[in-house]
Order: sequence, then structure tokens, then C-alpha cells
Amino acid sequence: MLVNRRTALKQALVVSAGLALLPACLRKTAPASITLKNIAVDSEGESMLALLADTLIPTTSTPGAKDVKAHLFALTMVDDCFKKEDQQQWTAGMKAFSELSEKKTGKSFEKSTPEARAALLGELEKAKAEDGGAAYFYHATKRLIIQGYTTSEYFLTKVQVYELVPARFHGSIPVKPASRRTA
Amino acid sequence: MANLNTSAQDRTFDAIVIGSGISGGWAAKEFTEKGLKTLVLERGRDVKHLKDYPTTNKYPWEFQHRGQIPEAIRQEAPVVSRCYAFKEDAMHFFVKDKEHPYEQDKPFDWIRGYQVGGKSLLWARQTQRWSNYDFEGPARDGFAVDWPIRYADIAPWYSYVEKFVGISGNKDGIDILPDGEFLPPMELTAVEQYFKGFVADNYKDRHVIYGRCAHLSEPQPIHTQQGRVQCQKRNLCQRGCPFGGYFSSNSSTLPWAEKTGNLTLRPHSVVHSIIYDDKKGKATGVRVVDAQSKEMIEYYARIIFVNAAAINSNLILLNSTSSRFPNGLGNDSGVLGKYFAFHNYRATIYADYDGFPDVTTEGRRPTSAYIPRFRNVKKQETDFLRGYAAGFDTGRRSWRSNDGFGTSLKDQLFNEETGNWYVGSHMMGETIPKESSQLTLDQSKKDEWGMPVLHINIGYDDNDEKMIKDFHEQMEEMYTKAGFKNIRTGDSKQAPGLDIHEMGGARMGHDPKTSVLNKWNQLHAVNNVFVTDGACMTSTSTQNPSLTYMALTARAVDYAVGQMKKGEI
Repeated sequence: MLVNRRTALKQALVVSAGLALLPACLRKTAPASITLKNIAVDSEGESMLALLADTLIPTTSTPGAKDVKAHLFALTMVDDCFKKEDQQQWTAGMKAFSELSEKKTGKSFEKSTPEARAALLGELEKAKAEDGGAAYFYHATKRLIIQGYTTSEYFLTKVQVYELVPARFHGSIPVKPASRRTA
Repeated sequence: MANLNTSAQDRTFDAIVIGSGISGGWAAKEFTEKGLKTLVLERGRDVKHLKDYPTTNKYPWEFQHRGQIPEAIRQEAPVVSRCYAFKEDAMHFFVKDKEHPYEQDKPFDWIRGYQVGGKSLLWARQTQRWSNYDFEGPARDGFAVDWPIRYADIAPWYSYVEKFVGISGNKDGIDILPDGEFLPPMELTAVEQYFKGFVADNYKDRHVIYGRCAHLSEPQPIHTQQGRVQCQKRNLCQRGCPFGGYFSSNSSTLPWAEKTGNLTLRPHSVVHSIIYDDKKGKATGVRVVDAQSKEMIEYYARIIFVNAAAINSNLILLNSTSSRFPNGLGNDSGVLGKYFAFHNYRATIYADYDGFPDVTTEGRRPTSAYIPRFRNVKKQETDFLRGYAAGFDTGRRSWRSNDGFGTSLKDQLFNEETGNWYVGSHMMGETIPKESSQLTLDQSKKDEWGMPVLHINIGYDDNDEKMIKDFHEQMEEMYTKAGFKNIRTGDSKQAPGLDIHEMGGARMGHDPKTSVLNKWNQLHAVNNVFVTDGACMTSTSTQNPSLTYMALTARAVDYAVGQMKKGEI
């Protein structure tokens, strides 16, 4: 009898573990493509970030933020370098951002039209990070995506060349007349 | 460990050097060149020049966090995380807080580099000489004790080490900051040149000069013989330099010592104490705890140099007790661990300048301009003692607007705008060593190597606060008159220690009753033990101290070997 009870207990544990996993299974979400230690962002969240990156710094004749994986850099930074309370604010803000998109357009950010996405970002541009919620998420993410883009291999080899070995310092040289670069 | 089976004879050397940093490296070089079999003990791991600089050739995008320290590490190591150089590219060269705990009465940020080469891999490489105005300070102003040496005693040794190290500098002919053996200077910027001229025209005793630094601007045969080549102006020094462009023990003194065949380097060696023989009236060796196996091993030598870095050198001496020295080796006076001091780096002042709109800088420069001390130099002028030097750095600001999104944002990111010049300065203030500023041992707590835990009691005083105020006032006046705009003063309130210029505790002096070391950096009471790192400093003055440690070390080795040959040691 004792053995049976043990077995029963074990089975019960297995069942409850399965139940705990169930909601996640039902939603059929996959994990993000990079390992996250502190924040919960799944593949859906990752694609939304990729789209946000591409909306902020789009692919044109030159690579955009999504092409250089600036959204994954942003995710890594939030996961590794943000304080716990900022991580919480960011993940809550990410949810608020999705909800705001639904509210404004009736559709998720990804299913919205480019025009609707632009309208949403235009609105968030006017808000400040301190306003919290979606505005915090937007501005914190934008800052990281710009950082990731402007320190990417593409940017530092093709746009603003980083020299590992400059081998020179000039204290006073004429400012070169700026020639506009096509982005 | 094989050491347990080695005979005492195998563990006997002519000289033992405790520490492989900037001063220990020099002791090793000097002893081995003079033919002494020398054991260098280093508590950390080995770091071989070129081979052990894992990040040295990495591009910015190769750092996962673009240089930033992950939050988990910051939380676990708040002290070292406050250090300006503790970034993703060099964090492997710093001691994390829990790796060597200590106690603080008031906040003291103890920044350490436990590896072969120590902090010489990480230093800021500024190399300004002291002058008699510095050495005569305590005697003139009535604090600490009189330095037992003057500029004339150390000047030839400054020259000696400068030639080998390679110092880029300009002969400025200023008595407060004597000229040295210089390789050519790098350039000042247009705004630095302007400010230099402005200050010369408007202030009789104030100077803006090129900050002398340990970089090979034009290597000489003595440098190429070390395998070092011209500084490539990468400004990535803290990673270890593949060119040997700046001086470190790893690139210079240690490989040089190794070539003599007289060097034995033992990493992972935490020195527990110096062995004192009551009958001989001398130190006979050191007790080492192997950092990995934790076993204790003794090594023996005729001469012992303590170069563990200021705080750890105090710790070793305080822990070296015997019936003759119950309070620490050579501590008859009771001053060992006391009169500890540092440099006050709290104050900054930044501004913009709209002059020179047509010119800018190009490339990178591993130094900046420097303003030697001008306060209370020739006579007492203020209601505080001593004064401050200042770094002075300028550059052309460039910026991009991050406003908006889409193609307009991308266009902004692609097209950087040139802004005004920025000017910035930070103070390097002399602090007054006080008896109450003290390092002690907490015998109730032992660290993992069986060493008592170090207890630090030091803080800022009224003199420091007055000096900060004066720095802000004087610099603001100079900035304003020079036409700099948007002046912002700052006080970081950073804890002592973050300057990484901790000094004293085993000060030099004439009198054994009030000092630990004599004019040769030799313990008054134990003539075969010398301390030539920051622990020996009687006062701090304002200069970055490493050059002085190197000169004092070479001088002390020369003396010690001379004494040994005469049979005195």
C-alpha cells in the first residue's frame, strides 16, 4: 500500500507539472532565439522587437537595425545590464506597447499597416520615457537599438569607420566640409 | 605541490621581491641585471605579454555589451564597478570585491589588480616628476614628517628609469615640475594651445603643459631591445598593448629580468609574512600561502623588497610579527599603518568653447594637457594646506540627433554634426596624512588564505573640502576669462581609494621614532628589508606617483646591492 501511495504521489506530481506547462503549450510559443536569463520574451516578442527596429531604422539601400540584429542587442542589454526594476518596467512596457497598438488600430503592432505603426511611433515620440508604460518601453528600446546599430560591424566599417590602430593624433586640422551620406 | 619536496636550498635566493607590479617589476629588473638570483612573488595569476591580452584586438562590436558591465557583476562587485577602467574589455584584470574582502569604517574603494604586472597593465600612465616644492612640503607646512630625501637625491634615478620606460614629454622649464628624459611630445589641440598661451599671458605662476606619459612616441634602441615599438595611439591601453606602446611590467621590466636568467617568477603566491630571525637580527625570508593549494611554503633570501602595492605592503608588514616585533615588522615606532593618504580626485569642471570652429582633431591620443600645482607653491596663500594639479583635456564635440524614426532618423545617424569644442578638467589634490588615517588588521577574521582581514579607516577632511572649493573657483575664473562658456562644476563625492593613488603607512623619515623607513627605503630596524611602493610615501603631493615609485625602487636596489657587497646586509 505504501508503495502504491508513493507511486500515486509521483503521478500526481507529474500531472501537476504537466498542468503548469499546459498554458504555455497551448499558446504554442517558442522561446526567443537568444538565451535570456532574467526577462521573459518569447519568439513573438522578439519578432515585434525586430519590426520595431526596422521601423526605427529601416532597411533601405543600406542595412537597417533589424539587418544588423540591433533588436537582439537591445534584448541582451535589457536582460544583462538593466537593473531588476528597470527590467520589470521594460517588460510591462512592452505589454503596454502591444496593447496600445491594439487599442489604436485594433491590430497587433505586426499586423498593423506601416502607416498605423508610424502613427503609433509618432505619438510615442512626443511622450517621454518618464511617462512610463509604453513610452518607457519605446524610448528605452529606441536608445538601445540606436546604440546597437551605430556600434555594429556594418556601421563601424562602412558608415563611420572605427580604427583599431589609428597610429596618429593631430591636434588641429581643418574641419572637412560635410558631404551628406545617403542612409 | 612539488614545493613540499624541494630542499631549503632550492628555495633560497639572493633577493625576494614581493609583488610584480610597477615597482616590483623594477626591483626584479635591477636585481637580476646586477646578477642576483631573484624570486618574484605574485599573488595572482601569470599574465604574459601579448599572449594573455585576450581582448586587445577586439572591435567595439565584438563586446557583447559594448563595454558595459553586466548588472549581476555590478551588484556583486560594487566597489570595483565604480572604477572608470572596469569595463567589459579589461574586467579580467581587476579584483572583484568578494575575491578579497576588507573592512571600511568610512567608504574606501580599494581597487586592485592581482596578476603578474599588477596595476601596471591598467595605470593611467601619467609620469610627472616631483620637485623640491613637493619634498619640502611637510617640513615647510608642518605636517607628517620631513622627507629624508630631496629632489637632488632622486633626480638621477628619475632620469635612469625614464630612459628605460620611455616618457613622451615636452621640456617646459618649470621649476615646480622638473623636466626629464623625454621622447617627443604628442600634439596639444588647438584649444589647449590657446589656453596654454592665455594662462601664460594672464597668470604669472600658472602653466598649461603637455601631460608627460609613459608612451613610446619615438622608440629608442633601449625600447626596441625590449621588444616594444611605437605607440599606435589606440587608447586601448587597459587591455594590454600588443605593441608595448606604453610601459608595463609585463611588456618591459619582467621580460628584461627574465632574459638575464636570474629571475624566478612565482604566481599564485600570497605572501603571509616576512620571517624575522631574532638571533641574526635580520629577515631571512618570507612565508607564502599558495593561492591554489593553500599550503604554506617558506622562501629565503638575503634581501627582501616589499612591493605588494601600498595597502598590501602594509598588510604584510603588520602581519609579520615576532618576539622582537610584536606589532609588525620594523614597527618600533608604532606608526606602521598610520599616516595613510591618497589623492583627492572629486572635483571636475567642464565647459564649451565656440572658438576655433574651423579646426578639429584627428586620431586618438593617450594623454592630455596638464596643469601643474599653482596653489601654495612658493608660499602659503590660502586657508588650506598644499594644492592640486589638474588634468586638462579638450576635443571637438560631434553629435547626431536621435529624434524621430524611420529614414529621417537613419539619415541623422549617418550624418554626424560637428559641435563646439568641449574643455574638461579634473583635480588631483594633495591630502594630508594623519595619524588617524590608519590600516589595521582584524585578527578576528581570516580570509581564505589565512590572512587577517584588513581594516581601513580613512576619509576626507576640512582641508580637502576647502581645496575642492578653491579648485572650482580658480578654474572657473580661468575658464571664464579664457572665454569658455556653459561652465559646469562637479563634485563626484567619490570615496577615497577610487583615485588608485593610495600612499603611506610605512613612511620614510629621518627619525626611527616617527617613521618606518629611512632615506634608502630601508626599514630603520631591519636593514635587509626595503619597501619601495606607495607604502613608503611620507606625503602625497599632486603628481601621479608611479614614476616616483620606479625611481625610488631603482635607487634602493642600487643601495641594497652596494651594502650587500660591503657585507653590511
